[in-house]
Amino acid sequence: MVILKVEHLFKAFGGLQATVDVNFEMKSGEISAIIGPNGAGKSTLFNLLTGYHRVDSGSVFFHEKDITNWPPYKIARLGIARAFQISNIYLALTTYENIRQAILAQQRKTLNIFRTATQMAKKETRDLIEIAGLSRHANAVAGNLSQGDKKRLELAIALGCKPKLLFLDEPTAGMSKDETHETMSLVQQLNREMGLTILFTEHDMSVVFGYAKHLTVLHQGAIIAEGSPESVRSNEAAQKIYLGEEA
Amino acid sequence: MYRYGWLGVLFAATLVLPQIIGEYWIHIAVEILIMGLFAVSFNMIFGYMGQLSFGHAAYFGVGAYATGLLLVKTSVPLPFCLLISMVTAGVFALIIGYFCVRLTGIYFAILTMAFGQLLYYIIFQWYSFTGGDDGLQGIVPPDWLINVKAYYYFTLFIVIVGLAIMWRISESPFGYTMRSIRENAERTRFIGIHVRKYMLINFVIAGMFAGLAGGLLGPFNRSIAPDLCNWHQSGIPVFMTVIGGPLGFFGPIIGSVIYTFLFAFVTGFTEYWPLTIGLVIIAVVLFVPGGVLGLVQTKFKAFGAGKIAKTERGSTETEI
Repeated sequence: MVILKVEHLFKAFGGLQATVDVNFEMKSGEISAIIGPNGAGKSTLFNLLTGYHRVDSGSVFFHEKDITNWPPYKIARLGIARAFQISNIYLALTTYENIRQAILAQQRKTLNIFRTATQMAKKETRDLIEIAGLSRHANAVAGNLSQGDKKRLELAIALGCKPKLLFLDEPTAGMSKDETHETMSLVQQLNREMGLTILFTEHDMSVVFGYAKHLTVLHQGAIIAEGSPESVRSNEAAQKIYLGEEA
Repeated sequence: MYRYGWLGVLFAATLVLPQIIGEYWIHIAVEILIMGLFAVSFNMIFGYMGQLSFGHAAYFGVGAYATGLLLVKTSVPLPFCLLISMVTAGVFALIIGYFCVRLTGIYFAILTMAFGQLLYYIIFQWYSFTGGDDGLQGIVPPDWLINVKAYYYFTLFIVIVGLAIMWRISESPFGYTMRSIRENAERTRFIGIHVRKYMLINFVIAGMFAGLAGGLLGPFNRSIAPDLCNWHQSGIPVFMTVIGGPLGFFGPIIGSVIYTFLFAFVTGFTEYWPLTIGLVIIAVVLFVPGGVLGLVQTKFKAFGAGKIAKTERGSTETEI
């Protein structure tokens, strides 16, 4: 079943073409990666898909529903969550409060003005903190967390939205090798056990080839190759433009 | 429960107070209560939502005029007048807020102030309805509240109910959503919250309680003037909140106590009140950026304080 379909997506900032005729599909339960050098348009693509930027032309479909240019909050409510490249958390709130906020939003309880927030979603919040490996820091103020823990929290907030489709923009940026592995294992586990559809970007090629089942190569805003990791590895255009830099 | 023990002590003190102080000071105490309620309603926008409303007196004034006009022109009972004050102020906040929540930061402050001034000039000019710059005279409270002690207890009751409701709201999921919008509106959008709608609801709640505070003022002073809607009046809750501390629910009340006392004291022997309050504000901003409550919370963590956090920006942020 196709969960996400992108057709002829264009976006320019001033004279700069950031997204050029991007077409792709994701099947439910898939775990895919978008790769490409810095400035290839990966983050812009995520921004277009989640409503952060308006598209110039083209369409985005989620479960065959046209969600092009929907506002971010509506897209999030459909079950599309994202974790940002630079952790985007509530710095003055605790880890626990950060995660609870996402869970209460997902449960549509944020308009409630007469219940005490501290009494709500206790189990869900604790479970998610456990899954994200942040139990030790549950009551720490998020601004005091280490860089790696902030990224973990970022991921946990996205998971608090109970997404069907999850966009991860460099989920392991700034993490050590061990942390990277831990996080990607968690992502893989979410994909396998809960059937979460995941699209991520990543610079580390060992991570990309280790975890993604499907690759899309972006260059100057356009898709130049896509397919299984093996086919992309042997694709000449991709080798030349992207993988060539690594070799 | 132990944590809030000091609230009980404070409550007992407010009950005993009028029995031991003179009439002049009871007047000051009523003013502290009314302005405290006004300042806390302002802080729902400033402290919790992170936006500076510089036109909050508009809703205070609308509330004052609603109750004032009803008492002068009709024989509606006072509690009902206060309810009408809340609703009217809420409607004004809804209309004005609809435009203001589209903006943030300095633009939000300027637009709220512009709307506040607009309302001020309408009230100022509309002689046939509002009495124009003559204001409204002869706003007499009902017989059972003629005595200033009685009016004190009535005000105390209304203010405590108002504060209790706002406290509930500030601790609710909605209250935490306000904090999340203050901290990071973008992230809040991406977890599925319609930020603008929530800001508007909060704006209306704050306007309603400002209206309630305004309603209490007319029958107390026996008259009201359009100055109640002027931007000077909008500055008062800002000063009170900055002095008392915006990051705790009770900060603005502490601010109201300090500000109102200081005003009564200083104007007793000098006309240079603006100079005095200016110096106080400068001192607070430079040396006690978290306000009095922030200072107390840093020094005595147990004193009704939640957690105190050194964020990575290096500033001291407090949360109740």
